[in-house]
Amino acid sequence: MSRLSFQEKMLYAQLVGLLVVGAYYAHFLVHRQPGQHWFHAVILGVILLFVSFRTFLRRGSGSVVEDERDRQIAAIGTQWSNLILWIGLVAMLVMYWDHGGLHSRDFIVGLIFHLLLLAGFARIVRELVAYRMAA
Amino acid sequence: MKSAIRNTIRDLRAARSMTQQELADLIFVTRQTVIAIEGDKYSPSLEVAFRIARVFAVPLEQVFQYDPSSGRRK
Repeated sequence: MSRLSFQEKMLYAQLVGLLVVGAYYAHFLVHRQPGQHWFHAVILGVILLFVSFRTFLRRGSGSVVEDERDRQIAAIGTQWSNLILWIGLVAMLVMYWDHGGLHSRDFIVGLIFHLLLLAGFARIVRELVAYRMAA
Repeated sequence: MKSAIRNTIRDLRAARSMTQQELADLIFVTRQTVIAIEGDKYSPSLEVAFRIARVFAVPLEQVFQYDPSSGRRK
């Protein structure tokens, strides 16, 4: 019998997906060349894999897969994620107010992308820590 | 972190030869939540607490006891 709950397995799957997207983005930054980069395909692929994995595991489990404790932990993770998003947005506004602009469109897109990755990463790690602390 | 609420679920379960998974299925939570409750690491909602007492057919205070001298303080 597995020691990890359904939600924990999902969090590890999300973490792997996030690392794949992050690694692909880092690869793109290092080998930046004009042309198609297939970001949309990678992100879509990761989401599809995650949904398949979730469906597969949910079907395999005949018991309850989510309860009040999972929802409580998810709320803690969301708080952390929201905090990071708010800090990032305020930082962007400060940059805009102080410098009268945000350099370029690429800079803004990069900033938002990193902010989303960071917020997602913080949420997943915080939830995994919460699960381990209350296991 | 340990909770200030103690419980006797492990003993009640053992007396009835009930597994954690069986109890979890009866009270509609995951087995990991039963493990956390038994280890005093998670305090369940009132609803789940009443469900547990009902499964064992005992009063709530026989399952859960409040011990203010231990656990976190606010």
